[in-house]
Amino acid sequence: MIELQNITKRYPENRDVLSRLNLTIEQGEMAFLTGPSGAGKSTMLKLIAAIERPTRGQIFINNKNITHIPKRKIPALRRHMGVVFQAHHLLYDRNIFDNVSLPLQIAGYSQVDIRRRVRAALDKVALLHKEQVMPITLSGGEQQRVGIARAVVNKPAILLADEPTGNLDPDLSAEIMQLFAAFNQVGVTVLVASHDLDLISRMHKRIVRIHNGQCVDAQDTHVLHNYEVVK
Amino acid sequence: MAKAKRPQPLAKPNLVTRLRAYGRDHLRSLVFSLGKLYRQRFATTLTLLMIAVALALPACLYVLLNNLQVVTQNWDNAGQITLFLKVDSSDAAIQELRNRFADYPEIETVEYVPAEDALKEFRDRNEFGQLLDGLDDNPLPPTLILTPITAAKQTSKLNQLATDFRSYSNVDYVQLDMQWLQRLHAITNTVRRAITVISMMLAISVLLVVGNSIRLDIENRREEIEVTKLIGATDRFIRRPFLYGGMWYGLIGGVLALLLVLLALLAIKRPIQELVGLYNSDFQLMFPSFRQSLGLVASSIGLGLFGSWLAVSRHIAKIEPS
Ligand SMILES: Nc1ncnc2c1ncn2[C@@H]1O[C@H](COP(=O)(O)OP(=O)(O)OP(=O)(O)O)[C@@H](O)[C@H]1O
Ligand SMILES: [Mg+2]
Repeated sequence: MIELQNITKRYPENRDVLSRLNLTIEQGEMAFLTGPSGAGKSTMLKLIAAIERPTRGQIFINNKNITHIPKRKIPALRRHMGVVFQAHHLLYDRNIFDNVSLPLQIAGYSQVDIRRRVRAALDKVALLHKEQVMPITLSGGEQQRVGIARAVVNKPAILLADEPTGNLDPDLSAEIMQLFAAFNQVGVTVLVASHDLDLISRMHKRIVRIHNGQCVDAQDTHVLHNYEVVK
Repeated sequence: MAKAKRPQPLAKPNLVTRLRAYGRDHLRSLVFSLGKLYRQRFATTLTLLMIAVALALPACLYVLLNNLQVVTQNWDNAGQITLFLKVDSSDAAIQELRNRFADYPEIETVEYVPAEDALKEFRDRNEFGQLLDGLDDNPLPPTLILTPITAAKQTSKLNQLATDFRSYSNVDYVQLDMQWLQRLHAITNTVRRAITVISMMLAISVLLVVGNSIRLDIENRREEIEVTKLIGATDRFIRRPFLYGGMWYGLIGGVLALLLVLLALLAIKRPIQELVGLYNSDFQLMFPSFRQSLGLVASSIGLGLFGSWLAVSRHIAKIEPS
């Protein structure tokens, strides 16, 4: 489903953030991406969403090589993914319904379908009652959940999330992770970058750690091992 | 770990649904962009006024030029043909010529100025008149002044007539009073060319004004553009409201320009009618026709669209989520 082969990424005038990295995430799998700040977690998600291009190596999504995908084909690629990126918030000039419906509007669904899908997505994040409300009036956690609803509204096959629990309290963070697990339950491939080792180790999913620009499955690393023992 | 289960993807909307959604998005962009102009009333008003003034100026000049042409078309004494006859022509020969020329369908009137009258007039009018007193004979020839019908007052037709008249043995010299017509023609052409140049410069300024407004608008909505690109919007989808914005600038600016032109014409109507009335009593100031008005608004819309297209094609592609 998602395959990174020998990926090297270097930003201009910077060291190699990722170097000869290999990672395969299977169809229907859920994985957490972790590592210290600056390790390259966001960079990796950006490569998968074609926001950044790799310096070397190949990226396959659904067995399609997207390494050199032409710009005009990027929108179609992104319509198959849901993304929850920290930096990309809601649009504050329109209400929750219009925010969540945006991916469907872009794809040209009928009004009836849009209404139905948006309500279903809002229902999943327990915000159906806030449909007509403006984003500014929501709490941080609620806004985060609206972002998730927008990411899943068109039933994408892949869900990417970068620090989706960034500054939320532990209960809310756990709730949101459960939400991702629920999407994974119905077959969505989910990749979540997170610092919160405590939380992600409790999810019992695959954990991938970025170390020196490479991916290590965290079961093998003593850092996490120790961590689990302490638990 | 990895489940074989595939998510049930949302069925892609069929063509009819997509077309309908496409139409809906156009409509929404149309309304949304108008609403945005309204929400930024102050900036919008400034931009619209700049467009209106820039378009009204050449449009006014053009209307005045059209009026000038109508006025000069029925200026009667232009295009007269003066025939100087041989000094020794007999009265009978002159009478014969007068009849012949009066029979020409192209000639409306034939006026005869005998040599004596010409001399008298010359004396009366000219301060050097007494110079002629020293002469025994009248040096001035008898003269025929022919006025062609309006339809014949064209350079080529007048030249043809003149050549014809020269072939009469008693005609000494044919003078075409065309210089004035030609000069007028040249002036009109120059003015027309100048108006074209001015129009082009002002059209460019309209493009810049619209382009700049749309560019600022794009800049203000950078974040929104990044987000929509990240969730799979095509450039075309993102462009649409901005292009409609340019269309609105053009449409409203063009209508305002038309109003300005009409106001300006109303303001000068009275004085200009009095002025021209001195020369041509039944002059009526011509207002732009319906087609010309439509043309003004249509070209304004075209400029608005083109200006926003310039801004959009330069700036939207550059904005990418990061
Ligand atoms: N656009 C950029 N230009 C230059 N350097 C960049 C750019 N984006 C990221 N980097 C560098 O790449 C490295 C990895 O950044 P990245 O954002 O992927 O880390 P991260 O693992 O997501 O960290 P965090 O946990 O703090 O979010 C950092 O050293 C950062 O300075
Ligand atoms: Mg990051």
